[in-house]
Amino acid sequence: MVKRNPLILFFVGALVAVMLFAGIRTARNNRANGPANGQLMGATAPDFDLEALDGKSLKLSSLRGKAVLLNFWATYCGPCKVEMPWFVELQKEYGPQGFQIVGVAMDDASTEDIAKFAKEMGVNYPILLGKEAVGLSYGGVNVLPTTFFLDRNGKVIAREFGLQSRSVFVDHIKEALGPGSSERAQK
Amino acid sequence: MKKYLMCAFLLLSAWAFAQEEFGPKGPVVTLSDAPVITVTQGKAVPVPLTFNVAGGYHINSNHPNSDYLIPTALKVEATTDIVIGKTTYPDGKNMSFAFAPDEKLNVYTGDFKVDVLVRPLRSVQPGKYVVRGTLKYQACDNKACYPPKNLPISFDVKIAKAKPAPVANPAQSPHAHN
Repeated sequence: MVKRNPLILFFVGALVAVMLFAGIRTARNNRANGPANGQLMGATAPDFDLEALDGKSLKLSSLRGKAVLLNFWATYCGPCKVEMPWFVELQKEYGPQGFQIVGVAMDDASTEDIAKFAKEMGVNYPILLGKEAVGLSYGGVNVLPTTFFLDRNGKVIAREFGLQSRSVFVDHIKEALGPGSSERAQK
Repeated sequence: MKKYLMCAFLLLSAWAFAQEEFGPKGPVVTLSDAPVITVTQGKAVPVPLTFNVAGGYHINSNHPNSDYLIPTALKVEATTDIVIGKTTYPDGKNMSFAFAPDEKLNVYTGDFKVDVLVRPLRSVQPGKYVVRGTLKYQACDNKACYPPKNLPISFDVKIAKAKPAPVANPAQSPHAHN
């Protein structure tokens, strides 16, 4: 049996801890504005009131009681385009269980162009016209798509950067809906 | 030896995990050192500017295949002494990406060269002049896109004195009398 020197083990452990600490600090410092996306995890999602394509405004907190998928996207973003048909299906599938997808368009395109794009994609959920301040409150949204998953209390339970597989979304939606949501919907 | 390798692996994993970085860590597009172009007063000369797109990323060409895409465009600031002429962009490459395998996007990757035509006025004092501008681009990788950026650029133009125009001698008539 090889005898392990406890001093070396302690040294390695301490070094790993220091590297972790330094890495986290560096990553946080690298993010220029607003809270880091990671800091939103478990916190109540920053509220906003944005204009939708239909001219009405939507306040995020008005969706309390529903599980929410908050998707930041842009018309110039190819990977965002891949996710949209999935979102259309997921809205249909999980909507009756108290699930709502909200898209926030984060580009400089005109409202007409965003509306045209959304129509081409057959979007069946509200698309809001994003503002920089809202993006900053969500950590800057420097990657598109960026998707947050909120539980029925408006708490951020997960977030994904960049294109993900459909199954990742399904897993997070189920988690956001909470246990027994399908049974509740059937009653 | 195995122990040391394991330690190194652990440290690297810890660092990578802690970083939790997404997206590019620096500018996706950079300008290679622009050559100092010598131009004669009043003459037009193209200035070649070579840009580099970081590995793993692509940016739209100046003529992307969709109206929704943001074209790469160079905006050069007008100066009082140098006339900025046409900007010539290279053709992009038609490429498919993992997020849209059936779609061809017209993009720039790696190095690409943009020519800017400059013409100093005849009246400009010879010397070195700085021309400034910005390159607007919007980058993506295989999984995500990044908001449009403006890369500030500058290049030097050395203006040389034009040779004096030859003075045409008036025809002399043997019978001319002053």
